[in-house]
Amino acid sequence: MSSLSPSAKELSMSICHTCGRANSAENHQCERCGTSLHMRKTDSVQRCLAYSVASIIAYIPANIWPIMNVDELGSISHKTILGGVVEFWGSGVYIVSIIIFTASVMIPGLKLLSLFSLCAVAKGWLKIDAKRATKLYYLTELVGRWSMLDVFVVAILVGLIQIGDLMSITAGPAAIAFALMVILTMLAAHSFDPRVIWDQVRKNEKDS
Amino acid sequence: MKRHQAQSWPRLLRDSHQTGCHFCDTLFKLQPIKEGEKADCATCGQILYHNGRKSLEYSVSFAITGILLFMLFLFFPFMRLEAQGNTVMMNVLEAVKHIWIFEGTVIAILVILFALILPLAQLLLLLYICIPLLAGKTVPGAIICARILLGIRPWVMLEVFFFGAVVSLIKVVKLADVDLLCGFWSLIAVMFCIAGTFAAMDKLELWDRIEVSRFKRKTPLST
Repeated sequence: MSSLSPSAKELSMSICHTCGRANSAENHQCERCGTSLHMRKTDSVQRCLAYSVASIIAYIPANIWPIMNVDELGSISHKTILGGVVEFWGSGVYIVSIIIFTASVMIPGLKLLSLFSLCAVAKGWLKIDAKRATKLYYLTELVGRWSMLDVFVVAILVGLIQIGDLMSITAGPAAIAFALMVILTMLAAHSFDPRVIWDQVRKNEKDS
Repeated sequence: MKRHQAQSWPRLLRDSHQTGCHFCDTLFKLQPIKEGEKADCATCGQILYHNGRKSLEYSVSFAITGILLFMLFLFFPFMRLEAQGNTVMMNVLEAVKHIWIFEGTVIAILVILFALILPLAQLLLLLYICIPLLAGKTVPGAIICARILLGIRPWVMLEVFFFGAVVSLIKVVKLADVDLLCGFWSLIAVMFCIAGTFAAMDKLELWDRIEVSRFKRKTPLST
């Protein structure tokens, strides 16, 4: 097996996250753009786990509480996220039902799952091919924003539906909890450092 | 034609320029690549950087178009709803105001921030940096602006907002007659413009161009 090419850390260089310049490890700020430099993101695994756990906590009320309140001719009904999915499925609009389910249930769930497994890989508790783990991280970071979909749907509905006294929609508390959850998972993905995984690979290679 | 020899973007040659993969930390010498090519990390396979065709020109023109269309999106009616003889026609700003009033302050702030301010800010910042770069000049604060620009990239959610609009339309169609108006169509165009703006130019290229033009002005590169 060909050995891995050395990492910037091993050559005591640190790469600026903003502009990509390789700085010597003594620099505290990037010589080109002034961003503060870290060899690795600080406490990446702990921070990622902390944000993930916080987002799970926000995920519970986001699914239990109503995401919007629909006032139709004086009779108020509360809608939850899953209720909306079921309703769309029932009325035959399968695509929308699938989109909402994917964006607001599956993506956050899978994202948390992948963040936890990435943390486990970084700690060495779980063995996944490092290339795959990198790809997983890339996807996790890419897909994060899309969970915000439901919050925007509620926002737009609240903004649009003001047809006289017939019907009005207000945002429920779950909308805020949900937005918080999405932001927390985005922060979690952002604070994870995939280079830690490769540090492990390099270390194992040296040991063997 | 000689155009095939079009090389990399300009960069300082005074020292060997290195970069590293953000995913696996492998150190690389920055090899100039031809226009339209990209460089992948040999270790983990993720893309390191790419060299877009006519990148600066494309970036700037997409961004200008994007901003003009963004104005249409903001100030022109988004859609018209008609139900039981009532007609509502509103643009995005009015809709946001309506959300604000109807006890959705937090939601309104999220929309304003992620779907309005940040997308617009990144286009404006890019133009502020890149229009002078077309003439080989840098503006004061270009470095700070570029840092802010790259910092807010992950938080721009205009496309998500668009799909949100589509989903809520499907909900509304059952209740009212819906006409999609100028604002809606320009939102689609804005999305493409933003995607084009940032697909055109790699961030390494942006930084190299800023650095080169600053160096020409004989300002010290670091403080």
